[in-house]
Amino acid sequence: MQFSFFTALQEILSGSGFAALARDPRQLIMLLIAFVLLYLGIAKKFEPLLLVPIAFGILLSNMPLTGLLNEPMNGASPGMLWVFYQGVEHAIYPSIIFLGIGAMTDFGPLIARPSSLLLGAAAQLGIFSAFLLALALGFPSAVAAAIGIIGGADGPTAILVASRLAKDYLPAIAIAAYSYMALIPMIQPPIMRLLTTEKERQIKMEQLRPVSKAEKIVFPIAVATFVILLIPDTAPLIGMLMLGNLFRECGVCERLSDTAQNALMNIVTIPLGLSVGCKAVYDKFLTFQTVSIIVLGLLAFLLSTAGGVLLGDLMYILTKGKVNPLIGSAGVSAVPMAARVSQTVGQKENPSNFLLMHAMGPNVAGVIGSAVAAGFMIKVFGG
Amino acid sequence: MIQGPLSTIDALMVALSGFVIVFLMLAALWGIILVVSRVVGGLAAKPVPAPAAQAAPVPAAPVPAAPPVRWVELVGIDDTQAACVMAIVSHETGIPLDQLVFKSIKAK
Repeated sequence: MQFSFFTALQEILSGSGFAALARDPRQLIMLLIAFVLLYLGIAKKFEPLLLVPIAFGILLSNMPLTGLLNEPMNGASPGMLWVFYQGVEHAIYPSIIFLGIGAMTDFGPLIARPSSLLLGAAAQLGIFSAFLLALALGFPSAVAAAIGIIGGADGPTAILVASRLAKDYLPAIAIAAYSYMALIPMIQPPIMRLLTTEKERQIKMEQLRPVSKAEKIVFPIAVATFVILLIPDTAPLIGMLMLGNLFRECGVCERLSDTAQNALMNIVTIPLGLSVGCKAVYDKFLTFQTVSIIVLGLLAFLLSTAGGVLLGDLMYILTKGKVNPLIGSAGVSAVPMAARVSQTVGQKENPSNFLLMHAMGPNVAGVIGSAVAAGFMIKVFGG
Repeated sequence: MIQGPLSTIDALMVALSGFVIVFLMLAALWGIILVVSRVVGGLAAKPVPAPAAQAAPVPAAPVPAAPPVRWVELVGIDDTQAACVMAIVSHETGIPLDQLVFKSIKAK
């Protein structure tokens, strides 16, 4: 057989990804979406630590002929991204992220004012409202439950529930959850101002009592024991969250605490982001349902914020003006961004007001609340 | 475990019971925190048993002097700014303020 340069060139081109890409324009659209998300992550700094790997995962998985998502069949090696995805499939990455969050979180403000827990519960309103709205839009009940969890403003929890209840919708749910978490400083303030009076926003709260070391050590042990015994499905999240916190507080695991909140968290973030992104393949992502999920996620965030602020209003009345209702909005999980928003909005009304530590209580209560809501949804709809 | 479509009533019941369960769970945690705080506080405040009656009176030991008050040297900044710096350092390092010792804070 005679070698022909042009025949060889033609074979290379016809077998390349460029030729395959031209067969379905939806792949090109996904590549454009990946570029836009990369731009938002890098230039606009929207949760870049997660959005950049997610966007790159979308880019990689939508390039044809790579085999990155191939399952192990007939003795063939699995694709690299398929291997990474097993960490999501089996709830390993979200649990490790929770370990890191626990190691980074000071539950002191919550222990000092445990009534903050109720604000964390009220701010889960968006989860259950969005669940109902998703059902009304025709989503299957398990998928609606996973969509609702976006309202918890907790990325790892949303990923865990979606991986159990709505695998095909995981990328849309994760992207919506993390995008809105990044947009919290824009989403929350209008709702906070709408539901509070100027007088309420100016309230200065009493200083929190000091919390002893022993209380901080017993707290994660007691919470893990009680919550997991009551709702075993919360074990991956609450168990890891409280283990991380115990590392932090016990005083004898400083190296483990440091690793959990820094190195381990960073290491896991890379395959987690890539795994979420790689499931956003054009035939499953470019659908009307994705748009619906994005809209429902926004509604869930708004309603969760409203739930927290409204209970804050009630506490303001019941305590005769001792509680600033702005701290209620921090009941959505997003730690510590939601607490910072309470601080910023409060300080705009009264420059001498420092709400940050008061808002941290509802903020960390929201993490527990959304994990409990997630456990409930998994229990009811069977992951 | 629920599978298949939900009726409107069932959906409302699921949403309502989920919200109530989250509230009850966190309210129960409130109770647990109160109990833990009381128990831990009680143990910490437990009075030291009085020493047995002594055979002969002994002269009272001199009362130890109160620890000297630690002053923070402030150079070029006022009290409010210093308080902010201390709070930020405490927040960023995760070390409670009562465990941090500041010797001086100087403006750049």
